[in-house]
Amino acid sequence: MRILHPRRAAAAGVAAVVAFGGLSAVTTGPALAASSQVSVVHGIPGQPVDVYVNGEKTVPGFEPGKIAGPLTLEEGSYDIALTKPGEDLGKALLTVDDAEVPGGANISLVAHLSADGKPTLTPFVNDTSKLAAGQTRLVVRHTAAAPAVDVRAGGQPVFRDLTNPKEAKADLAAGDVSADVVPAGTDDVVLGPTDLNLREGTATIVYAVGSAEDDTLDVVAQTLTGLHSAPGGVPSGSGGLADRGLTAPWYAVGVAGLLLLLAGALRLRPARRTAAARR
Amino acid sequence: MRARPGGAALVVAAGVTLLAVFGVVACRSRTAPDVGTATVTALVSPSDRPLAPAVAASVPVSDGRPARDAGAGAPARLRVPALELDAPVAAVGIDPATGEVDVPEDVGRVGWYRFGPGLSATAGSIVVAGHVDSARQGRGAFFRLGSLTPGDRVTLTGPGGASRDFEVVARERYAKTAIPLQRYFARDGSPRLTLITCGGPFDAATRHYRDNVVVTAVPR
Repeated sequence: MRILHPRRAAAAGVAAVVAFGGLSAVTTGPALAASSQVSVVHGIPGQPVDVYVNGEKTVPGFEPGKIAGPLTLEEGSYDIALTKPGEDLGKALLTVDDAEVPGGANISLVAHLSADGKPTLTPFVNDTSKLAAGQTRLVVRHTAAAPAVDVRAGGQPVFRDLTNPKEAKADLAAGDVSADVVPAGTDDVVLGPTDLNLREGTATIVYAVGSAEDDTLDVVAQTLTGLHSAPGGVPSGSGGLADRGLTAPWYAVGVAGLLLLLAGALRLRPARRTAAARR
Repeated sequence: MRARPGGAALVVAAGVTLLAVFGVVACRSRTAPDVGTATVTALVSPSDRPLAPAVAASVPVSDGRPARDAGAGAPARLRVPALELDAPVAAVGIDPATGEVDVPEDVGRVGWYRFGPGLSATAGSIVVAGHVDSARQGRGAFFRLGSLTPGDRVTLTGPGGASRDFEVVARERYAKTAIPLQRYFARDGSPRLTLITCGGPFDAATRHYRDNVVVTAVPR
């Protein structure tokens, strides 16, 4: 199996610029401002692994198709290795040394096959910007040993000519879509259709993984929540019946009352004077 | 000028009467002041949020299967005995043209915001919005929402008959330009029910009310 070739895997790993943090941060309590959220995605078919960070076993028995984390990790530089479960670090399947971590990011670290079928690690920085109310975010990542593809929703291409290891994304109205994958420019479905429930205020990240040649193409999905925003407003009245403020006619009533009172008082006063004079 | 004391007294009496009517109307038109704003603020902030564990626990591993629709828990009816209200509830979303809540056209129905917490929510604000009135249909289900007072009961019922009782803790009025909607549409914090409609002065030219009336209730 390709993944069992340590030296080549290590070479591929060194080529990858990986953003990842140290396990030490996990053990030091509350997250610091400069820490990142890191999830690990296993997209290499057929080989469970142990994930080591800075020489410490972090995710044991990590199965293909699963997602580990998120870990809250500090900004820094760290070593990552994948081994067969229970095997020695020296016999790692894939290693990446001195991987740099940015601070304050949400990162998915994906173990997957390159376009030509070699195991590799690719970091993706996830877009966690807020969505408008009613919207959802769909992200598609080509991490399979396969040529360029089109991703279709309901039979219509939405992302064209996507290549390994690139991503495409869009913010759209929340709801259900049926998605499939075809080689770019064709109608031959190689993956799917997969029903996706794209929930409002979340990001759904879909990874195409496996190998076209080995007929192991599959989908791994990751969901990020909490990206929702409040609606723009609550328009709920157009009649004016509930306006309890004083309208102009009522003010007119008040003014008329005041005028009558004054007029009456003015006429009463001379009448009293006349009466006094007669006495 | 011939002064006729009887006629003058009549005029004075008429003036006093009109002023009295004006006074009564003015008093009645005063809107009820806000109550419970501090309570709402306390509900918003998630109080006992657990701190991150000091010792590294095992890393959670999740299945990478695409998410299925969780079935959000849509309520079917809203009952408010103090208003003699028993209204059907529709699940509503966002009007794509405006980005605002798509409140049911029929003013006899109220709308549950389907993207937020549902009937059985253990956190966050379950939002039900309804019309105070409409130009064509007249008074809406929430016409008298602003008269609710702390202690009044509100009941939400699910399609299967399961119900949840709430007790009013706050009634507030905000200009639509200033209302902190983030607070009322929050998906975290204490579980609560938020009822929203329009109120305040009405602009006959734009056919819009200036304010939103918001009633907050907590599970009993």
